[in-house]
Amino acid sequence: MQGRALRVVHYLNQFFGGVGGEDKADVGPQVRNGPIGPGRALQSALGGQGEVVATVICGDNYFAEKMEAASGEVMQLLRPYQPDVLIAGPAFDAGRYGIACGAVCKAAEDKLGIPAVTGMYQENPGVDLFSRSVYIVKTGETVAGMAEAVSRMVGMALKLATRQDVGGPSEGGYFSRGLLVNVMAETTGAERVVSMLLAKLKGESFESEVTLPKYDRIEPASRIKDIRSATIALVTDGGLVPKGNPDKIENRHATRFGAYSINLVDPLKRDGYEVVHGGYDEVFVNEDPNRLLPVDVMRDLEKEGVIGRLHDRFYSTSGLASVVKSSEKIGQGIAEQLKAGGVSGVILTST
Amino acid sequence: MRLGLDILNIKDVRFAGKTALGGGVLSINRVELQALLQEDRRLSRVEIELAHPGDKCRILQVADVIEPRAKTGGSGDDFAGTLGRQGNVGEGSTCVLRGAAVVMSGGSAFLKEPIGGMIDMSGPAAELGIYGKTHNIVVLPYPSAGINLPDYAKALKIAGLKTAVYLAKTGEGLTPDEHESYDLPPLPELAKGMENLPKVAYIFAVLSTKHEPIIGEPVLYGSNIDRTLPIVIHPNEVLDGAIISPYRAAGIETYVIQNHPIINELYRRHGKDLCFTGVIITTAPDSEYEYERAATVAANMAKRIFGADGVVLNKTGMGAEEIVPARTAERCEELGMKTAYAMYLHGADQSDASGGADTLFNMRGVDAIVNMGTTYMKHKLPAVDRIIGDPVFLPGGIPISGNIEVTVAAIKGALSQLGNSRITAVRH
Repeated sequence: MQGRALRVVHYLNQFFGGVGGEDKADVGPQVRNGPIGPGRALQSALGGQGEVVATVICGDNYFAEKMEAASGEVMQLLRPYQPDVLIAGPAFDAGRYGIACGAVCKAAEDKLGIPAVTGMYQENPGVDLFSRSVYIVKTGETVAGMAEAVSRMVGMALKLATRQDVGGPSEGGYFSRGLLVNVMAETTGAERVVSMLLAKLKGESFESEVTLPKYDRIEPASRIKDIRSATIALVTDGGLVPKGNPDKIENRHATRFGAYSINLVDPLKRDGYEVVHGGYDEVFVNEDPNRLLPVDVMRDLEKEGVIGRLHDRFYSTSGLASVVKSSEKIGQGIAEQLKAGGVSGVILTST
Repeated sequence: MRLGLDILNIKDVRFAGKTALGGGVLSINRVELQALLQEDRRLSRVEIELAHPGDKCRILQVADVIEPRAKTGGSGDDFAGTLGRQGNVGEGSTCVLRGAAVVMSGGSAFLKEPIGGMIDMSGPAAELGIYGKTHNIVVLPYPSAGINLPDYAKALKIAGLKTAVYLAKTGEGLTPDEHESYDLPPLPELAKGMENLPKVAYIFAVLSTKHEPIIGEPVLYGSNIDRTLPIVIHPNEVLDGAIISPYRAAGIETYVIQNHPIINELYRRHGKDLCFTGVIITTAPDSEYEYERAATVAANMAKRIFGADGVVLNKTGMGAEEIVPARTAERCEELGMKTAYAMYLHGADQSDASGGADTLFNMRGVDAIVNMGTTYMKHKLPAVDRIIGDPVFLPGGIPISGNIEVTVAAIKGALSQLGNSRITAVRH
């Protein structure tokens, strides 16, 4: 890499790319030679070490509505420039823009095989979705933090493109990717464990060296008093949706759920549904959706009087590589609707 | 009970006409040692090789590492129950050849892993591991025809222990370079003068039953402990040959048990920062019923027998086993004791999308955990001139002597489950 300037490509949304505001959020990807808008700051931070050879601009709505296809189009526009590294944004707190920046960086690494870096504010949903797969440097909330964001992104891009160690998240100023890396501590494990115990015994503060999985301790609901009069609902994270996926539930990293009528349905008909889930072989469910969502069995129980009745809607999302925060939101949303519908018991089916 | 270690620092090891020690140089009569080890009819032949720090040498299929030690005072035998008679160990004196190590290379057919544990005598792996810094006497015992696995496994261990004793006997009568003393009286006298210090017990997980334990494998005084409940043992017994590392313990070689870092640290701080009340050895059973039982018994011993205020725990084995010490710690916390737990991260999901958890558990009160590194970190190792062990090929036809990439867990003595390494893992 030494001896020649790195070929840098830059991704911007319609606003930073100078195409227009919200009214232009539907424009598709378009490429320009050289730097544009914040790209000029990138170029000046790169100095002689790199050259912003091209900028792709895409409307936030266009990207959000068909992420996968839009990522592909962006890559096609960039490929001819033979880039060494991609820089996206920074997106600050702009949610759709942040998600697009994350997706473009990921596509650059996966499809073009080049390193990529973007920058966002900590509360940007793009951080939640992409900080595990791409480098996202920390930025301020608004464009006032542009200078610092550009400097961090450029520093990171240069290191990545020249295969240098980027260091830990705090020194690199990026959101942890969760990659476990061994380093040398000051003292041995034996010394540390005894010291930690002594601190704990004395009531002094101590810092545990591991991150524990967070499992909320949910108090189970009280038992159903009379199952014969209870309304029971079916909820699944197996991604069962009516044909055409009307709510556009994502097949992974789901952020949405759907509620679908099964009023008078007995049983689920095989051609009326499809599976939106990238994590299991859906052949059996496509053959008989009742095997994922047992409407047939519930109708029998209803007829036999074992349960009061089956709730007239089922709830569905896709449980694959889900972000905990999104899952919590989905769960709370479903629970609210179930409560409002007078449901007293739920059967959850998973895959 | 008082144990004195007479330590002789070894600066070099070489083959010679007579086995002897002088001026820090250990001379070994190779033929005599071979003859001694070949007395065991379970072995068809035994090869001995030497490897020194700085050599461009890679030792493969390492089954265990043992520090040369021999009893020189007191009534107890060497490696009681395994090699010698049952008897008093942990008291009297023991001669230690520090800086030397007996490395057992077990053959790939036995380990079912082509590389097994490996040791590099130079380069990055030698920097990471402790056995690249010792003068190694590598013992390669070959099984007799028709021998079964448990018999060969035992013969391999015993050949190593015999070598360790044979070599350390050369130190008898010599003036030691250093002397260490380990003294811990029985419980009724233990805490005298230490009433204001917290009482600390150590729950030492030795064996995992996740893999089928080898029948009759000598772990405690010559027998296996896979079906035993927690046992109270004096720390000096641990240091003086009562416990031999089980094959599947991972990161717990016999050498590390002889120099047990946690026991050493508790001794070092005994009477100053804490009152070290003793050791409970336990296992990591593979069923919930059994580990609940073991956790309960161990926690009760710490609380009701030792009267401990605090407990240190380690884990053994690989990933799933980390739950057992955690559950034991939770039981201890329930009984009002404070706990700290040292573990390496093998159960951690490297691609965890939900928040990068390092453990498989999250238990009440188990909030003081020392992270002793991830087993998955990869290291590139340069080519070597010499291989000791079976010269296997890696996938893609790469010769094991070449430039290779291995995980840190493959480098013997790099990661330790007993805390002698400074390696810790951070999230990048």
